[in-house]
Amino acid sequence: MTQEQTQTHPVVEDNAPAIELQDVVKTYNTGGETIDALAGVDLAIEAGEFLAIVGPSGSGKSTLLNILGLLDVPTSGAVRIHDRDVTTLSERERTTARKESIGFVFQDFHLLPSLTATENVCVPTMFDTGRDATGRAEQLLTRVGLGDRLTHTPDELSGGQQQRVAIARALINEPTIVLADEPTGNLDQDTGHTILDEFRRVCDAGVSVIAVTHDEVVTTYADRTIELIDGVIHRG
Amino acid sequence: MARRNLTRNTLRTALAALGVLIGVFAIASLGLFGNILALSASAELGGIGNQLIITPNEDAGVTGLDIRDVDAVTRAVGTDGTAVPLLTTSGLLSASGGQTFGQVYGADNPAALFTAREGTIPDRHRQGAIVGGDVAETLDLRIGSAIEVESSRYRVIAILESEELLTPVNPNSAVILPEAAFAQRSYDQIVVQAQSGESASVIAERVRTQLNSREERVSVFELSSILETIDEFFSLLNQFLLGIAGISLVVAGVSIFNVMLMSTTERRQEIGVLRAVGVQKGDVLRVLLAEAVLLGVIGGLFGALFAGLAAIGLVFIAPIGFDVVLVASNAVYLFGAFVFGVIVCLLSGLYPAYKAATLRPVEALRG
Repeated sequence: MTQEQTQTHPVVEDNAPAIELQDVVKTYNTGGETIDALAGVDLAIEAGEFLAIVGPSGSGKSTLLNILGLLDVPTSGAVRIHDRDVTTLSERERTTARKESIGFVFQDFHLLPSLTATENVCVPTMFDTGRDATGRAEQLLTRVGLGDRLTHTPDELSGGQQQRVAIARALINEPTIVLADEPTGNLDQDTGHTILDEFRRVCDAGVSVIAVTHDEVVTTYADRTIELIDGVIHRG
Repeated sequence: MARRNLTRNTLRTALAALGVLIGVFAIASLGLFGNILALSASAELGGIGNQLIITPNEDAGVTGLDIRDVDAVTRAVGTDGTAVPLLTTSGLLSASGGQTFGQVYGADNPAALFTAREGTIPDRHRQGAIVGGDVAETLDLRIGSAIEVESSRYRVIAILESEELLTPVNPNSAVILPEAAFAQRSYDQIVVQAQSGESASVIAERVRTQLNSREERVSVFELSSILETIDEFFSLLNQFLLGIAGISLVVAGVSIFNVMLMSTTERRQEIGVLRAVGVQKGDVLRVLLAEAVLLGVIGGLFGALFAGLAAIGLVFIAPIGFDVVLVASNAVYLFGAFVFGVIVCLLSGLYPAYKAATLRPVEALRG
């Protein structure tokens, strides 16, 4: 087990960033018009770093998050995870890389309504034959303070609890990076604080957290905040 | 997983399964009914396929069949069946119960053609009258009663089973007397009762070669030829019914397709999340297809079940027996309809599933 961990998720003693973007450009064609969503972004996130990305609507935040999350490919430039170039991977390889290295937390939680909390946390491992992640899922849920809610379905949980299930789900495959899209957007302020505390603990465990947000509060928890305007980074 | 997804949206699942059910029910029951119709018709007609009727060829000036013709036919029949030469006339039948007009046959060996309800038909019919069911009822006859046929009196020795089947020599309103009762010595027809339809046509061929070698002395009528025509008609009818059922399955298929498309559209986000957290395209596709197949199996099973029940129900409202319902060829229709339903489900699930699985996660998550 330990060996497997070191193979797939090398504990970063070397100085390679957890994820790195090099001169990433992303252009969209809409109605014959070319839009530069990202116009040459360089970005490196260290292991255990909490990075907040802020910026007005249409500044390219979501595009950046999609590229960081290997959900989309850049028009030009390179994406590296632990010095491994993942820019040119096939769809299938990208899916696998995503599964191994990246956890997602969404604004709308996106839990599967028919499954219990534990089963939702296990969703990323659902199709791995011969692997039962239930034990780890329960452990993670206990870690985020939901040890007494294991068999509840999402509609029996509050928004904050659902988001904590989502965080546990993001951590099930021991990722190096957790990407959060407006993680506090649908929560009240107090609940938002508990979720951000949770993210801090995730960082303390050596996992990088990248949060795209409008919420000023998020930036107070972050190690570093960058502002994106018209597809270009302005250091915060 | 697939089962769970289906139970989650019970209404949608029920509607989809209902669509499959109706399609499968339609195709199974129409196929079944057609088959049962054909089977019961051939059961009704079954007997006559074994009979041949040999009549004098009047076009060639032959007005009756003499004893040499009978011998020739008997030789041609051999051990494959029995030749029954018949003298035919009609006349007034009277008894103490009243009087009626009926067919009168003269035959020395009628046992091969008829079955008795009361009394026995002797192998050699020397005396007494064998009366048909309707005649016995009209004239209120019993075994031992006296019946007067054209002013000669006979004792009733047997009463025949009422025949509902279509037969060339219908005994219901007839009286069968010994040949000796007739003045005429030339036969009007020879009915051959063969052991099977095949031997009937073999005999027909032999009779033709032996009696018609020099001149067309007799005409041989094979009743199996009507039977073939009737069979052809029923298979046509069956194909027609299956065609209608096929249309209803297409309609059901479209509705299944619609439901599958709707269900995947509704679940774009869910599928997007699955893809985002690292579930491969193929796995998403498999889950969705498993759902489609499960729907098909459930709907198909119930459709086939209801069609089977409907066929059994038919026994109680229509004059058919269980023997034509509980046959293997009916099971083939049920199973075929079921398989067809599952396949339509799979095919109509394929496109929406493929579309959903290949959707880029980013777009799926946007909703």
